[in-house]
Amino acid sequence: MVDSVISLTNLLPGQVAEIFRIEGRPEDVHRFEEFGLGRGTRIEMFRSGNPCIVRTASNKVCLRLQNRFHVFVRPVA
Amino acid sequence: MSSSDRSPRPCEDAPTSLPDSSRPVVNVALVGNPNTGKSTLFSALVGVQQRVGNYPGVTVEKKTGRFTTETQCYHLVDLPGLYSLAPRGRDEMVVIEVLLGHMTQMPPIDMVICIVDGSNLERNLYLAGQVLELGLPTVVVVNKLDVAESHGISVNLEQLRRRLPVPVVATQANRRRGIDELKQSLDRLDPGTRREPKSVFPEILENEVALLSESIENLEGCRGCRLSPRWLARRLLLDANGFLEATLLGACPGHGGPCGRGRGWGNGCGYGRGWGWRGGRQVNLPGGPAAAELRTQLLDARRRLIDAGCPLPGIETEARHAWTKTILDGVSSPPAQYQSTPSDRLDHVLTHPVWGLLIFGLLMFVVFQAVFTAAIPIMNLITTAVERLGIALTAALAGTNLAGGAVESLLVRGVLGGVGGVLVFLPQILILFFFIALLEQCGYMARAAFLMDKLMARVGLNGQSFIPLLCSFACAVPGIMATRVISDHRSRLTTMLIAPLMTCSARLPIYTLLIAAFVPSHDLLGVINLQGLTLLALYVFGTVVAIVVAWVLKRTMLRGSATPLLMEMPPYEWPSARAVLMRVAERGWIFVRTAGTVILGVSIVVWAALYYPRPAEIEAPFAPRRETLQLSLDQLPPNAAARARLKTDLAQVNAQIDAAYQRQSILARLGRAIEPVVRPLGWDWRIGSAVLASFPQREAVVATLGVIFGAGQTGEPADAASLAGHLRNATWERTDRPLFTLPVALSLMVFYALCAQCAATLAVIGRESGGWRWPLFTFGYLTTLAYLGALVTYQFGTWLAG
Repeated sequence: MVDSVISLTNLLPGQVAEIFRIEGRPEDVHRFEEFGLGRGTRIEMFRSGNPCIVRTASNKVCLRLQNRFHVFVRPVA
Repeated sequence: MSSSDRSPRPCEDAPTSLPDSSRPVVNVALVGNPNTGKSTLFSALVGVQQRVGNYPGVTVEKKTGRFTTETQCYHLVDLPGLYSLAPRGRDEMVVIEVLLGHMTQMPPIDMVICIVDGSNLERNLYLAGQVLELGLPTVVVVNKLDVAESHGISVNLEQLRRRLPVPVVATQANRRRGIDELKQSLDRLDPGTRREPKSVFPEILENEVALLSESIENLEGCRGCRLSPRWLARRLLLDANGFLEATLLGACPGHGGPCGRGRGWGNGCGYGRGWGWRGGRQVNLPGGPAAAELRTQLLDARRRLIDAGCPLPGIETEARHAWTKTILDGVSSPPAQYQSTPSDRLDHVLTHPVWGLLIFGLLMFVVFQAVFTAAIPIMNLITTAVERLGIALTAALAGTNLAGGAVESLLVRGVLGGVGGVLVFLPQILILFFFIALLEQCGYMARAAFLMDKLMARVGLNGQSFIPLLCSFACAVPGIMATRVISDHRSRLTTMLIAPLMTCSARLPIYTLLIAAFVPSHDLLGVINLQGLTLLALYVFGTVVAIVVAWVLKRTMLRGSATPLLMEMPPYEWPSARAVLMRVAERGWIFVRTAGTVILGVSIVVWAALYYPRPAEIEAPFAPRRETLQLSLDQLPPNAAARARLKTDLAQVNAQIDAAYQRQSILARLGRAIEPVVRPLGWDWRIGSAVLASFPQREAVVATLGVIFGAGQTGEPADAASLAGHLRNATWERTDRPLFTLPVALSLMVFYALCAQCAATLAVIGRESGGWRWPLFTFGYLTTLAYLGALVTYQFGTWLAG
């Protein structure tokens, strides 16, 4: 269901989603994946905006997406 | 470094109960993600016997300590917290170099303790997998299982022990639980053994690893490495950022060879000479034909792998996450639903766009109040103590042949005056660091960085720059030291370069002196005092200029695509009083050592410039009067009432002699030489001399103005009030035209707001940026900015006045 994929910045507080795709410079994408934010990682939006705060399994992470760096997520019902 | 420095030393400080105190110390590295409780575990193992310093040539903090068990003595190195062994910054590269045994003054590592956060095993095992591949004897420590439990995550430790090829110990480091078990596990390891770990990568990659490892074995710089050539080969192949390649093979990533053009971050090449990466450090760089051949082999291997559909470096995250999933299957699983924790409830308020900012503002107000009010009585005490020490020193020298001579002047004015000038700021620094340590420990700093990020991003910085800039309001030295938390190198450098523009405490004496003397104490609208408003305007002015400079730097010299911000927000914790106090003590000591040594040196230089030359004829016109006074004093009985008046008169003559010497000193001659340059700013040679003297240490200006404008000559103490009077009465030489007008006072204050008049700050920028290029640039751009600012202020002010 590709059409349900949205940008992370559009995820609403409390909404849960899975990371679908990360776009950007390979080294930035690699850094996110090393951090545990790779394709399939389940996240919950805690504080929306840019920067935003998302929750992963047990911790919170603050992210600011730059011009050419995008995270696309698929909301989980 | 000699080989003897690196050889294991016997366990000298072992307790007498140790069975064999001649056994060599085992060197253990403590590795783990940030916020796993690594530092707490370190303290639990070594107690107070820890040493804090820097790794040679870089400013990555090095923490070491020793502990003993019943059978062995261990030397523990707390390595910087990191998420991966793929180096992309100095912190990560330091870890690799320590593990490789390449770091000077560091013995090779025999064992590793890898700490993982039990509440976040999936992410933590990524690094643990990389550490296990080293093949060194390792213990995996699972910490924070209590946090995992509170999040509804259960961990099957027995299952984990069966799946990992090394011992696994559970700890709760903050309660010192599991520490004995960890020590027993370490004792059971044999420091001499090496495992050949099973690879998690596909065969195609391992085939290339095998080919490369043969060449690595023959490479001079890699011979004698404790780590296996296969590990090095694998890491070189997966080296996404080129740091490892640059360090081991002297190559600049992207240029395919040694970097001849890497002159900084601005040109897109951050390697080679940029940041003095290797300049200040002794790193074993093989270079030569063998390294060049290996580089070619590496490029060919990467090309073959990419052609075969093996993505580099993406294959690493893919393979490791797959391995982690296999290991954690049935060991740990995330809760079906996110559970709201007390940290979440706090974050709902503390990261709120309105309430969060309000609380943040309130906290900053409290910090500032404490720094600028609570510190004052202690600062006064230090000033008094230094003054009394000076008086005691003068009294001790009285009657000796050193009295009144160069040595006395050097000790009292040069050494005591200089060091005292720095020590007086120590209470402010300690109070500031107390709050910073407290906020860091409880986890609030990440929230402050989040709140400030939007604002800082507008000028190209990120939220992590905020705290260093805040520190700089007390003193730029700790502010620049605090830039270490900034992960993006360009942002870190920009923050360092603008930190001196924040109004530090050392500017307050000159501001208060000139404002009190020349700004009318009127009330605007009946409530706002004009003098207070001027002081506030100077604070705002420095900050606004800093913002503009950051904006310009990030669009010119330090241009480059910014890395997206990725920052962990650790759960809130009660700060440990011991940890906070230790942090404050560490930082305070680093400040005293860094600032004190530099200031001592430059104070002596300024003293000499103001003391020499000493031609005898200067004293001649005053000699008869002094001799008469001294004779009268000697003839009076000890309790005669007239003695006090005579003593005052004698002190006055001595002060006049001092001032006469200083007016023809090297510094005063320099002041006269630069007068044509400072005239457009409304200054004469005397103001020019005072400004020159304060270049090493800006707070010196008040004392130098006092000397030059003759405060204290009439016998009264040279305090700010009497000095203000002298400045108001000063006229241009041989005229009765007042020297100090409001435009002159304002131009002087603008100059002090912008100028880089602090040798300690420049020295710290040099140390933190790894060379002298950036401090020289800082000095140049700030001095130019200060001159232009003062010029515009004076000329515009004079035009306005009429």
